Amino acid sequence: MAKTWKLIRIMVKMQLSLVGKSTNEKLGYVFLGIFAIPASLFILYVINGLISSMYGVLAPSGNESVILGLLFVITSILFVFISVGTILSSFYFAEDVESFVALPFQPYQIILGKSAVPFLTLYLTNLVILAPSLVICGLHSHAGIVYYLYAFIIWLLTPVIPFVVTAVLLMFVMRFLNLSKNKDRIKVFAGLLTFVFAIGINIVIRLNSSETNPGSNLAHLLAEQNGLLQLTTKFYPPAYFSSISLTDPMSMAGAGYFLFTFALAIVAILFMMTTGQKLYFKGVLGLSGGTKKTVSPAKMSKKIQKKNFLYSSWVREMKIMLRTPTFFTQIIVQSLLLPVLFVIILVMDTSGSIQGISAVVNSWQGKTIILAMVGFTVLVLGINPAAISSVSRDGKSWFNHLYMPVRAESVMLSKILASFFINFLSLLVLFIMVCLLKLPIMLTVIWIVLSLLISWLTSIIGTILDLYTPNLHWTDEREVFKGRFIGLLALAVEVIIFAPLILILWRVDGFGGIWMTTMILFAALSLLIFISNRILKTMIEKHFYSLFSS
Amino acid sequence: MIEIERVTKQFPGHTAVNDLSLTVPDGKIFGFLGPNGAGKSTTIKMMTGILPVETGRINVNGFDITKDPMKAKTTIGYVPDRSDIFLRLKGIEYLNFVADVYGVPTDVRREKIDYYTKQFSIYGALNDHILTYSHGMRQKIVVCGVLLHDPDVWILDEPLTGLDPKSSYTLKEIMREHATKGKTVFFSTHVLEVVEQLCDEVAIINNGQLDFIGNMADMKQQFKEDDNLEKVFLELTQNG
Repeated sequence: MAKTWKLIRIMVKMQLSLVGKSTNEKLGYVFLGIFAIPASLFILYVINGLISSMYGVLAPSGNESVILGLLFVITSILFVFISVGTILSSFYFAEDVESFVALPFQPYQIILGKSAVPFLTLYLTNLVILAPSLVICGLHSHAGIVYYLYAFIIWLLTPVIPFVVTAVLLMFVMRFLNLSKNKDRIKVFAGLLTFVFAIGINIVIRLNSSETNPGSNLAHLLAEQNGLLQLTTKFYPPAYFSSISLTDPMSMAGAGYFLFTFALAIVAILFMMTTGQKLYFKGVLGLSGGTKKTVSPAKMSKKIQKKNFLYSSWVREMKIMLRTPTFFTQIIVQSLLLPVLFVIILVMDTSGSIQGISAVVNSWQGKTIILAMVGFTVLVLGINPAAISSVSRDGKSWFNHLYMPVRAESVMLSKILASFFINFLSLLVLFIMVCLLKLPIMLTVIWIVLSLLISWLTSIIGTILDLYTPNLHWTDEREVFKGRFIGLLALAVEVIIFAPLILILWRVDGFGGIWMTTMILFAALSLLIFISNRILKTMIEKHFYSLFSS
Repeated sequence: MIEIERVTKQFPGHTAVNDLSLTVPDGKIFGFLGPNGAGKSTTIKMMTGILPVETGRINVNGFDITKDPMKAKTTIGYVPDRSDIFLRLKGIEYLNFVADVYGVPTDVRREKIDYYTKQFSIYGALNDHILTYSHGMRQKIVVCGVLLHDPDVWILDEPLTGLDPKSSYTLKEIMREHATKGKTVFFSTHVLEVVEQLCDEVAIINNGQLDFIGNMADMKQQFKEDDNLEKVFLELTQNG
């Protein structure tokens, strides 16, 4: 046990230690902490509203235990979703997996060590969602000290079962489906899963927000279909046990269910250890291998083709972004998330507001539409994760650009082209949105031209910022994005440039008419691209060759 | 030909290379020896344009690496000491990319990729991601990439580390062929037997300064005739 405890402590220390992290990253965590305060207050406000209105509807009929049941089911589902990614990366994809396998530890000990950090991260969500919800429920039911004591212990235990279920399922999958050979593809799939999850949550919210009071709406639904909740909690009995023990903590049944919940968590941990002991090593071993495909000489010969350097380098950038799981999720999925969400919001609105929005937008002056669309496009394309990582992505391989007989400008141009192309994908999705809004064709064409210019400009600005302050000394690709505020900085620069321009064109009546506005925006964007090109050139001269030695 | 004239490289707190001058003639295999931290890699990085030359001058095939970097780099083929690069590309994609960088025509690259990858027994793995290669295979794919444009000056930083005996033998053979064609081969190593077998000339660097330059016979003569290279090396670098 002492050995296991030591292993857990070492693993937590290695993953959470701030030693060797840059000042920027440390500052990043401080800012994140500061930002978390208003964010949690907002979540608290929403939860309070939801629970209060549900309580108002359900308490008179004595059905308030449904709220707790639903709460435990929802948080547990959330924990499962969060755990998939963290468990996969900690158990199977972390760099240190093989080094621990070689040490004289039992598989269950490694499993416990590897679980520590993913498990602890669940408590962040737990703290933000479940803790305030339990307190709010307690306040509504005027609960006594025993409720809060039970609630605290149940709060501590709630993440255990979802975590164990996810871990055991993943261990089975990794052991028997032999997915380990497609390590990168699984990671990309996990990234896509978060994308789908984010969109799914949005859809649920959209479906629920058409009424003025979402909480009471949901409560009515539950009261009418009480069987549905029972059915849900039946599939996940721990939620039922926890909710009963908290609804009536003073009774024998309450105490009994509480003890049962406690015992269940312990059994779950033992179950995970036993499964891990049997399955973990079998899933891990052979992870470092890869797929082998033989290609006929004729096919191989076809693959060997001379290409222009710029094209070749652009293809290389694109392949690295598509094939590196972290880059895929952080760059491609992130870029597409916002545009896809907007399209879904428009498509999902069953209340006919798409026609409403379309009518409102179309009733504006042409000038206003163009300005609104430009502002919107700047916000959507502003962060441009491909551009702000264009230099950092190369990491320690940066030196390759230095000994190869290639002009620095060509290397940087291929990087800008790659981020322009990723932006282009987002623009295609936005184009669907513009089509749904049924804008006049002329305005659509103007928007396309201006958007391409904006896309090019944001690609240059992001690249300049990354060239100025890159992170080349990473050991894990996630460090390219973690704790760096370069994305927000890029967006801030763009907002500072565009906000006054749009505001002036909007307010000053002298700049009336579609063509006048378009010409001014076109000229301004061309000038900005020219200036940023000059800045990029100077930056290349100053930094390109000295990055590696600094 | 490589000409290094009075090159000094300083990093904050220490001098990595101090007033180094040496000439590597064409048609020779030149071994660059020295203990860890002696300044070998720093010198090589300056020769290839990775680190800037602040004091002194380095000419590669008549082109100044600082003033005329593109022409100088075009004549160089460089095998770095780390081979974990472009891991997400397939072997064949990497070779195509390198060939595009050096502008190698399609028919030439087809012939060379076929020849060299078969020589190093990695032809069958060309369609796999470099990420799945072993250390030795990664080293071999980099060597193959460098040979595609038939460089006049071949610079290799610890090239034999991690290679199996057959590949090691093949690489040494190719280095010899290259020198026989009148080209320059410059490599750093710790493996003294290789230096003894392969090198026409040797330089020993220690604490950033050149301790010895000459051929093997000169070196042994300078010390006791019957000493082996290991003893000579240890004696030369005893303060390192």
